[in-house]
Amino acid sequence: MRKNGFDLKQNAGRAMMLGFAIFTLLPIVWAIILSFRPASHLFEPIWSSPTVLTWDNFGTLARSDFPFALLNSLVTAGGATILAMLIGVPAGFALAKGRSHRKFIASWMLLLLRMAPPVGFVIPLFLLYLNIGLIDTWFGLIAAYMVLTLPLVVWSSWTSMAQVPNELIEASLLDGATLFQTFWKIVLPAARPGVVATAVLAFLIAWNDFFFALIITRSDTVTAPVAIMNFVSYATVDWGSIALASIALTLPTVPVIIFANKYIVQSLGGAVKG
Amino acid sequence: MGVQTLFQRGYNRMLLPAVVAVGVFAILPLVGMIGLAFTDFHLIKGWRGEWGLHNFMRMTQDRRFLASINVMLFLSVFGVLFQVTMGTLVAVGLEKIVPKWRFMRGIFVVPFVVPAVAVALIWLSLFTPTLSPINAFFDIFGITVPAFLTSEYGAIFAIVIADTWASFPFVMLLILAALQGISSDLEEAASIDGATKMQVFWRITLPLLKPALLMVALFRFIETLKHFPLIFIMTNGGPGRTTQATNYYAYIQTFQSSKVSYGAAIAVFLFAIAAVISFYVARANARITDA
Amino acid sequence: MKRTQLLSATVGAGIALSLSMPSTARADDLNIVLFSMPYTQGLAKLEADFEAKTGHTANIEVIGQDVFENRITLSFTGKTGDLDVVHTPVIQVQRWIEAGWLRPITSEVDGMASKDDILAGPLDAYLVNGERYALPFFAETGMMAYRTDLLAAAGFDKAPETWEEMLEVAAAVKTDDTGALAMRVAPGQGFNMFVFPMIMRAYGGEFFADYSGGDLTPNMNTPEALKGLEVYSSLMNDFGPEGIGNFNFGEVAAAMQTGQVAMIVDGTSIAARTLDPEKSQFADKISIAAVPSGPAGRSPAIAVHGLGIPADAPSPEASFAFLEWATSEEVLTKIALSETYPDFTRASVASNADVLAKYESIHPDFLDLKVQMLGDAIGHYRPLLPQWPQIGQTVGENINAAVNGIMSNQEALATSDEDIADIMSE
Repeated sequence: MRKNGFDLKQNAGRAMMLGFAIFTLLPIVWAIILSFRPASHLFEPIWSSPTVLTWDNFGTLARSDFPFALLNSLVTAGGATILAMLIGVPAGFALAKGRSHRKFIASWMLLLLRMAPPVGFVIPLFLLYLNIGLIDTWFGLIAAYMVLTLPLVVWSSWTSMAQVPNELIEASLLDGATLFQTFWKIVLPAARPGVVATAVLAFLIAWNDFFFALIITRSDTVTAPVAIMNFVSYATVDWGSIALASIALTLPTVPVIIFANKYIVQSLGGAVKG
Repeated sequence: MGVQTLFQRGYNRMLLPAVVAVGVFAILPLVGMIGLAFTDFHLIKGWRGEWGLHNFMRMTQDRRFLASINVMLFLSVFGVLFQVTMGTLVAVGLEKIVPKWRFMRGIFVVPFVVPAVAVALIWLSLFTPTLSPINAFFDIFGITVPAFLTSEYGAIFAIVIADTWASFPFVMLLILAALQGISSDLEEAASIDGATKMQVFWRITLPLLKPALLMVALFRFIETLKHFPLIFIMTNGGPGRTTQATNYYAYIQTFQSSKVSYGAAIAVFLFAIAAVISFYVARANARITDA
Repeated sequence: MKRTQLLSATVGAGIALSLSMPSTARADDLNIVLFSMPYTQGLAKLEADFEAKTGHTANIEVIGQDVFENRITLSFTGKTGDLDVVHTPVIQVQRWIEAGWLRPITSEVDGMASKDDILAGPLDAYLVNGERYALPFFAETGMMAYRTDLLAAAGFDKAPETWEEMLEVAAAVKTDDTGALAMRVAPGQGFNMFVFPMIMRAYGGEFFADYSGGDLTPNMNTPEALKGLEVYSSLMNDFGPEGIGNFNFGEVAAAMQTGQVAMIVDGTSIAARTLDPEKSQFADKISIAAVPSGPAGRSPAIAVHGLGIPADAPSPEASFAFLEWATSEEVLTKIALSETYPDFTRASVASNADVLAKYESIHPDFLDLKVQMLGDAIGHYRPLLPQWPQIGQTVGENINAAVNGIMSNQEALATSDEDIADIMSE
């Protein structure tokens, strides 16, 4: 009796997990199907003509500006991540281990900047960029993305470096190492999972952005999330290309997240436990 | 201690680049936004020289703005509720129900990396009755799936569902991390004492997860206040105006009605909400860190 | 040590990359921004022709309409001076002129040898306060497409001629599987506000008390407009296909192409797509007809798109050379033949034998019917006011709310009057 009751609950739990898995996979599988469907059969169920598939959408995508936009995305998101890490990780370290009475203000500011609605300051940013000639440049977008990601980088390197024992740092400093050497050789390796996770999250934030790119790019630096909208034209919505472009936009980040998965869990664990 | 003071200048030097970068590229535009909110910049007519509180006065009488707050709260409250529930269930399920299905973890994490624009486009296709395989599937049994995007609450829930899909993995990852931090001794002790699995979950695990749950809920709440691509692509704010959340309304005022200053005033309002919530997050975090 | 080197190399490369910006366009390059439609897609393929003809190089960029509107507004506001030619929809032209964003090209246009070949209606749509601001390349009017087989099965041998008849036919044709009529319902000045005025005006409804006489008192809350909105709501809700409440042009075209509806009333370019055997599964059973009329006559929708020159364009002569080339008989003919039935704007293109053959192959009356619809259409179908984009957006939201049952029809019109009054008073 008891064992049966247990099994029932166990099976209900499994069914729930399967249900969630289906919910998670459905849009992905659907996007893959759409990307192989010819326009003429888009609107009939896949099971009524499962073999009517085409490679045409690949050609459409290759001939469009989309690959170029993917390159722009890669350069800007990658560049911004590198810059934000260079600037943000030492700052996180300084906040974690330095002495300051303004730490609370600093943490509040970081969160606030992360949370500020872009719609308000994108116009001032546009006007600023106009005056210093950064509209439609890689550097302009990299700078914007760096600021978008910097609060997260500082915040999470702060939390992961706070866990590095003070004794370790003091020992190194007493041995005559400079502060930067200590940071570079002692603290950074000790906080590696957190740093890796931070870099991945920063890259994802920049890679996902739609709004900034919409406003401060023109033809030369348009990023992939904006370029995808070009498949919505008057008289037709090219669902096949849209689905394929969505997949192309996601694919580069999938291996990253699967590889960095465990680091993220570790570092978030740090953030949650404090 | 003494060493730390000695090295304080070094710390300050490491902090400086971040302060400068934030100052130029974030604070400057923010100051600009607040400045705009007190003036009357119009995309077409330019400046007309009026300045003061008029944009904020206008907000108190603007029915659309007030309605947009409702929409925003609806989207945020239900979005966070769904995401946190599902994310927690999946995380707990992965640890306790199907610990051997390791591949599942990889599946659940994928939506996390799908860019918002792609999320919106794929879900738009799933919610378009003539295109959607879901509708076609239920048609086989003679069941007509209602058209989500054409009814007031349907459209809001369509956005909530798409957002839940995209964001539950974030919650899941955070809760997984928190679960690993909970020592299994407590749970084992409880089950030896005769508690059922359910009781262990409700009485032991969940209370221990509370700080993590609160943190992730607040984080997600703020993010949902900034919804843009999902509304822009899936509903255009429709049907009628029923999915014009405040952030989207600020966008419409700025770009479609050309009233940059009014849009900026609405953004300042959102900024104030974010300031209050982030204050509490920062305080909660400071408590956890100090403890 | 090795790791340090690797890291600094990566960082160095990152910085080098970020500083070496993409090479900006050459000085004699023309930058042209257009939004995506058959003509603009066709034009982008002809960049090399332009260079061969004029020696200037053109950098034609075709982007999505939503992205276009943001980008253009900001380019104009910021006076970036980075554009030489810009896609100029008639619907935006008043607003852009008021803001001083467009350069008048009156003398250039009047000096063109082939000016008289351009259809007068579309050309004059850009004549504002005695100055010309753009050359048209696209003029679309309303048109109906219908399934002859489905109508015949329900006992009708021709398309409904009035909206009253449309209600009757729709009731007879609608089945569980097939909707009777699809039109755009999604909110927006180019979406539902492209089609709804066809019904509203047919019943005598207007946006303003006396637009032509200059009395711009909002006047949508009238029995005539209400009747129009009731007919539109009923046609969509009672006889439309599933999910009609969020339909846009893409869904309307797709619904007809895949046999989910028996009739559509939309623009000529959408109707053409349903007749195209390559795109439409029922092309051989689809015919076309005039837009239904009402007690106040017939008012087909009209939309005109053209090419204009931004006020701050650095070399206006070169820009105009592009305009002239891009709207020439030769180029319009080429695009009419290469793309999916674009709505060209020159009489000579319409009499070109190859073009005639192509359009006749989908329907013998297509071009004639289009000319007839152009004749019936009024230029200010959507009011030609600088405030229109904003009015269209707001009223479009109200109309969409009415169709989806969020407001009553009456309420939607009353609210629209208030909204228009607010917008006009600013």
